[in-house]
Amino acid sequence: MEAISHAGTVLGVLAKDGVVLAAEKKVTGKLLDMSGSKEGGYGGSGEKIFLLNSNVISGVAGLTADANSLVNYSRQTAQGHLFNYNDDIPVELLVQRLCDLKQGYTQYGGLRPFGVSILYAGYDPHYQFQLYHSDPSGNYSGWKATCIGANNGTAQSLLKQEYKDDIGIDEAVGLVLRTMSKTMDSTTLGSEKLEFATLTLDADKRPKAKIYKPAEIDALLVKHDLAKKDEDAEMRAA
Amino acid sequence: MSIMQYNGGSVIAMVGKDCVAIASDLRLGNQSLGISSNFEKIFAMTERTYVGLPGLATDVTTLHEQLRYRLNMYTIKEERTMEPETFIHLVSSTLYEKRWGPYFIEPVLAGMQKTPSGAFRPFVASTDLIGCINFAKDFVVAGTASEKLFGVAEGLWEPDLEPEDLFETISQTLLNAVDRDAYSGWGAVVHVITKDKVVKRTLKGRMD
Amino acid sequence: MDISFALTGKGYVLVAADTTAARSIIKMKSDEDKIKVLSPHLLMAFSGEPGDTVNFAEYVERNLRLYHIRHTYPLRPASAASWIRRSLAESLRSRSPYSVNLLLGGYDTATHTPELYWVDYLGTMTSVPFGAHGYGSYFALSLLDRYHDPEAGLEEGLAALRRCIDEVSKRLVVSPGKYKVKVVDKDGVREIEL
Repeated sequence: MEAISHAGTVLGVLAKDGVVLAAEKKVTGKLLDMSGSKEGGYGGSGEKIFLLNSNVISGVAGLTADANSLVNYSRQTAQGHLFNYNDDIPVELLVQRLCDLKQGYTQYGGLRPFGVSILYAGYDPHYQFQLYHSDPSGNYSGWKATCIGANNGTAQSLLKQEYKDDIGIDEAVGLVLRTMSKTMDSTTLGSEKLEFATLTLDADKRPKAKIYKPAEIDALLVKHDLAKKDEDAEMRAA
Repeated sequence: MSIMQYNGGSVIAMVGKDCVAIASDLRLGNQSLGISSNFEKIFAMTERTYVGLPGLATDVTTLHEQLRYRLNMYTIKEERTMEPETFIHLVSSTLYEKRWGPYFIEPVLAGMQKTPSGAFRPFVASTDLIGCINFAKDFVVAGTASEKLFGVAEGLWEPDLEPEDLFETISQTLLNAVDRDAYSGWGAVVHVITKDKVVKRTLKGRMD
Repeated sequence: MDISFALTGKGYVLVAADTTAARSIIKMKSDEDKIKVLSPHLLMAFSGEPGDTVNFAEYVERNLRLYHIRHTYPLRPASAASWIRRSLAESLRSRSPYSVNLLLGGYDTATHTPELYWVDYLGTMTSVPFGAHGYGSYFALSLLDRYHDPEAGLEEGLAALRRCIDEVSKRLVVSPGKYKVKVVDKDGVREIEL
């Protein structure tokens, strides 16, 4: 619980035609090798936002090593469901399976629980788009918009003020970025501090997860006028 | 009657110029009794890797699900798609795992292989039912009409066919070979794979 | 030897099975129900080795019911069929395999489509417009090749089914006397008197 309150913020917003996730990265610096996330892959740096299945993405806050283990478990669970039922796993079922595992570690002595909170953004034909949150004890709940990690109280109240029930995906992207820029410690947003992902439907009505690459995040920030500004240029202009 | 002939069905794959094609019939039978004329044996594993699984129909489904599981875990962990040449080795080891109680399938694979320079080269291969790989330069065949497919393909295939010509060649080869086989036929499906797109066509065949 | 037929129509699936329970050449019973209702929109006609059939059908029924209770919604027909197929495929390579052949008729309430799957004891599964098991299949499949229409209304579907049953009664040496017919559509499952 302690680790989670210091972890990078993860924020999720449910829209009528999609779900948006964003996360603040804490492990940054000039010397960090980011070449892996720039070339190839499905995007993201592998620190905060993960693809769990073709219809579910997740954002994690807490102990990174524990999170990696849970991500691996959920990927196997999802593929196991596809193997047995020839269909993508329903989102709530995946959340339940992960929470069963988490709960197990709170029940017996000698072992420590997983120090991870998770946001899940997913789609299934039963309940369409969904956003869930689970905590280390194994509790989970569904949300329209929520936040975990550092400063989650501030973000929650901002979301509560600005969220509308019939919000579309584009508005949701804007809302997430604005809220993120207000809650993060640093003054400016940039791809080196931010991970971003959306889940929408493609032309064939199949769920499509998109985890943004660094260059795409910067382009998105410019579009929403939240990008890092060159202060010298501003000074000269003034 | 061998277990390999129980349900019937045949698959063929051919190399062309910067393209590959893979085709199969659509029959599912119980020996001589036809059950379905819509049983697809070719599966898209990645965007440019297709695998055909002729043989015992229960194992067609089981092996496809098994390969999909292993491929998806590779893709999601490695964060990249699997190349055809890697995939055929996955097929091989999956089959050899069941060396003493095999899946009764002889897989055929067609795909575009990424080369170190970033270009793509056509790739076809097949294995036997315990996973011995056959890398071919021209074409590979499998299934109940394999002998006939070998014969017709040997006569019709030539190097460096363009996608449209390759489609014609593989279609004629398949349709004429399965007409001489009682256990294959009932329509066909052809996939022509180039580096940036795949064209799937369904062919009508003799329904006897 | 059991006989079962199934066919799809516009928004429904018809499933029929004979009602004879026989041992060797003796009829023990003539009102046996060989079509299980697996979920609100799923029917399963089962035939094969006596003993295996009922045991397997109950195993499937209870596992699907458990899924329904755990997750509040039932498995969709395609997923249920995949799971049942896997059970048979795994059983085939076990020490004591089930010899059970199935026809699975369902209505998918998410996509509003009728679905029919032909499954045999090996774990072979395929989606078909119509299907049959047992000696009846030799008559029914060729009749339905000619008379089946996937867009037919319920009355036309029943007429096609009657043709199959009549042909079997006329031409098969060991033809059964009575059939049970069930239909599944958007309103769920119900039994029909022929």
